[in-house]
Amino acid sequence: MKPGKFPELIKLAASAAGMDATLSRRGFLMLSACAVSSLTALGLCEALGAGAPLVILDNARGMILADPSRCVGCQRCELACTEFNDGRAQPSLSRIKIGRAMNFGPEGPTGGPAMQGTWGNGLVVQSVCRQCPHPVLCATACPENAIQADPKTGARVVDARRCVGCRLCQRACPWDMITFDEDRQKASKCFLCNGKPKCVEACPSGALRFVPWRDITREGRAGGPVLSALPAAKARACVECHTPSRKKSSAR
Amino acid sequence: MAATTGGFAGKVLRVDLSTGKISTQDTREKYGDVLGGTGLGYQVLWEEVPPGTGPFDSANKLVFATGVLAGTGVPCNGRTAVTTIFPTCWPKPLVGSGHMGGNFAAKLKYAGYDALIVEGRADRPVWLFIRDARVELRDASHLWGSGIRRTNLEISQEMGADCSVAAIGQAGERLAPMAIVANSLSHSAGGVGGVMGSKNLKAVGVQGSGAVRIAGDKGEWEKLIKFHLSILGGNNQHVVPSFPTPQSEYYNPASRWVGEPGRRWGAAEPPVEITGNIFDLNRIAYRTNSAAFFLGEGAWKHTVRGNGCTACPIRCHTVIKVPSVAAKYGIHETAQNTCSGLNFGRAFFKALPGGFKGPTALEACMVGMHLADDLGLWCNYGQLQRDFLKLQREGLLKAKLGATEYASIAWDKFESGDPTFLFDILPRIGERRGELGQVLSQGTAGLFRHWSMQEDDWGRDHAARYWKMGHPKHHSSEDDGQCGVIINTQYNRDAQCHSHTNFVRNGLPLSVQKRLAAEIWGSPDAVDGAGDYTPMNLHKARRARWSLVRKELHDSLGLCNWMGPWVASPLKERGYRGDDSLESRFYSLATGRKLDREGLDRMGERIFTLHRALTMRDMGQLDMRAHHDLAPAWVFKDQNGAAPFTKGTIRMDRDDISRAMDLFYEVMGWDKATGAPTAEAYARLGLKEVGKAMHAQKLMPGDAA
Repeated sequence: MKPGKFPELIKLAASAAGMDATLSRRGFLMLSACAVSSLTALGLCEALGAGAPLVILDNARGMILADPSRCVGCQRCELACTEFNDGRAQPSLSRIKIGRAMNFGPEGPTGGPAMQGTWGNGLVVQSVCRQCPHPVLCATACPENAIQADPKTGARVVDARRCVGCRLCQRACPWDMITFDEDRQKASKCFLCNGKPKCVEACPSGALRFVPWRDITREGRAGGPVLSALPAAKARACVECHTPSRKKSSAR
Repeated sequence: MAATTGGFAGKVLRVDLSTGKISTQDTREKYGDVLGGTGLGYQVLWEEVPPGTGPFDSANKLVFATGVLAGTGVPCNGRTAVTTIFPTCWPKPLVGSGHMGGNFAAKLKYAGYDALIVEGRADRPVWLFIRDARVELRDASHLWGSGIRRTNLEISQEMGADCSVAAIGQAGERLAPMAIVANSLSHSAGGVGGVMGSKNLKAVGVQGSGAVRIAGDKGEWEKLIKFHLSILGGNNQHVVPSFPTPQSEYYNPASRWVGEPGRRWGAAEPPVEITGNIFDLNRIAYRTNSAAFFLGEGAWKHTVRGNGCTACPIRCHTVIKVPSVAAKYGIHETAQNTCSGLNFGRAFFKALPGGFKGPTALEACMVGMHLADDLGLWCNYGQLQRDFLKLQREGLLKAKLGATEYASIAWDKFESGDPTFLFDILPRIGERRGELGQVLSQGTAGLFRHWSMQEDDWGRDHAARYWKMGHPKHHSSEDDGQCGVIINTQYNRDAQCHSHTNFVRNGLPLSVQKRLAAEIWGSPDAVDGAGDYTPMNLHKARRARWSLVRKELHDSLGLCNWMGPWVASPLKERGYRGDDSLESRFYSLATGRKLDREGLDRMGERIFTLHRALTMRDMGQLDMRAHHDLAPAWVFKDQNGAAPFTKGTIRMDRDDISRAMDLFYEVMGWDKATGAPTAEAYARLGLKEVGKAMHAQKLMPGDAA
């Protein structure tokens, strides 16, 4: 695929979806996720070529919402995640994370009146995967295109066959939601259990809900490490859309 | 860790504080026959701690042991048994264990250990750092003198927020027999804190990233867990709600299933209303509210949420928020605990303004939790407070303490029911200040040892609820007639057995209980209505045996005997049946080693019998019937003079209890005359070597004294 084709395809798809009137270059980015749905529908993805860098993913259709005021800190969700999916009880591998903020809250053992968790005000703040819209940082960081949107749920899913264990996805997630299985040397993340999340089913207080997706990446604090180590091919794909037009034209 | 290992973490960690040596052993190879928990603790004491060892001798060992099911998603796991030569035992220290929940057990398993054996004594204060395979002794001089809360915070700062820290407070440092070790804010093991202090071990911090593997099919595992969830009730496995509702055929006001739709966690932000179907598995956590159960309806508006152990959907440690205490007493406005820990503060008063369920009582509870769970002071299942009130009521404190010390106590606050009294009295005991602190911090044994008070006097007093050997009754005749009595005779501390009471107090009508009893123990006569007892029979002896065996099984599997066993359920469609084989099914799937109910129960019986042998060996006593298996005088007396077996009395009959012991020894395969296990009993349970050792010490029935 030649550079420049991709935005054109988006435009085409946006047009097909009735969104072309508002399609400025900036608006393009905001709309792209919706547009990709149309692209998929139109079967145009194939036109991008199998080896093309995968930068824009279809939005997820569902996500897990966590309500801290209902959480009782039992970690049954973490255990359901790993026992029922992986056959072992291992909270460190859970794709939903309770334990890390359970004792002292997201800020950690700071002391002081603002401390949350069991040793603070009692509130347990859960961590869940936001199933990010574009840019899907974990997927973008992956040099093997191993993180893709699940066709059924749209969940961002690690394909273990493609994962080479480089951990770049782990470094890319600002919410620190990628787990890494040291035994198998593979990354893993919330895949919404193919549409029937075990954690939601396991919660004894109804603190977790499986709901239609919306963008919550601007909500809550992203505290995790973000190491921008984009694979070169993907960086080129990013630049394709993100280069201001005048510079782009002068560069050409 | 071997890839084939399931259930077991795989290793036992051993730390010698005298030499600093840290080593590991293979759990299954060395301790597989006793599972873990109390079983593992008893075996270590049997093999390694010589008779006559004192609790605070460096030769005593302290065994923190979890079990196969700890750290998994099996409901109601999360328990750690802490077994040692128990310091509050009168007249002579003997084997005993304190049990704690919280998150310690799971973390220890994820770190790769089923148990931690602490031996020797460090020459300076240390704490033990465990992060997976990395284990270190670290300096604790900066922590020595601090309470449990600060210790937890500073160790968490050093290890990371997700560690679990089991720490002692000032009481343990000062070798108070009445000291706890606690983790996860409110989860404590009583009586063992001083042993930790004697070893100069301030805390154990543990962090684990590993797995507890499930050997069996994960789909089967998921199915069994969901089935177990479906047969759960509320706290104590009370299987009917405490309130009438069209959703349930039965209700019982005494049930701890108090989460009625319409109630709310009033201090959650915003409050959480309890709605929907009470049987909904995504609503189980709302069933139990210990604060509301013990402190009354007023506690609902102070409820933030339920809390508890890893993987337990029954959240029995209620988090309560009482903003007024911050300004009034200078303490944190939230606290959590359950049962005796929750009641710690208010139980020090003979009266409180507004009564024992009023707002002052709630404040007293908040102050009590703030102090006791930080100082690390144990209540000996409420005996500390009952002893204190008895001593005060009968003028014994005035008689025994020097005039200056007596006058220094804030009695005006005690009399007026002012919770600030606790800021005076609890540090005296926890920090062992003055004669009062020295004596009360030893528990009831201290009163006998130092103030020449007579154990018989305590045993005659209904209000004192004293049982024997320095400890109180724990679900005895008041709850379960002869079964309760038998169970309370068997241990060297309070019995801590709930298998029996969880069934008879499960809230189902007696007719249903009798139907289930016939299926489980062979006859409807295995159970009586509470306070409506009939003479002893063989089926009750079978139920007592079953109860004790399951207690040891749970304590050795990492399960909670405050919730299990699960032989009744809330499910009408099951005829309210539970499942008597649940533990063995979980054990088989987790470990990949198939064991049926009888097989696993035999392991429980082995563990219970090992406790018996250990007790006999360390007592040097063959005739347990006459010298150990005793009940106090109050059991045989009714305050209103009612005769045994008349409705409304819990009074037992001496001859009938004697027959109860006969039948119990019979079903155990023990010698009736002495209550000692026979050679056959040891052999049947795979304890031939133990039997031989007992015989060598003339502690086998038939051996000449």
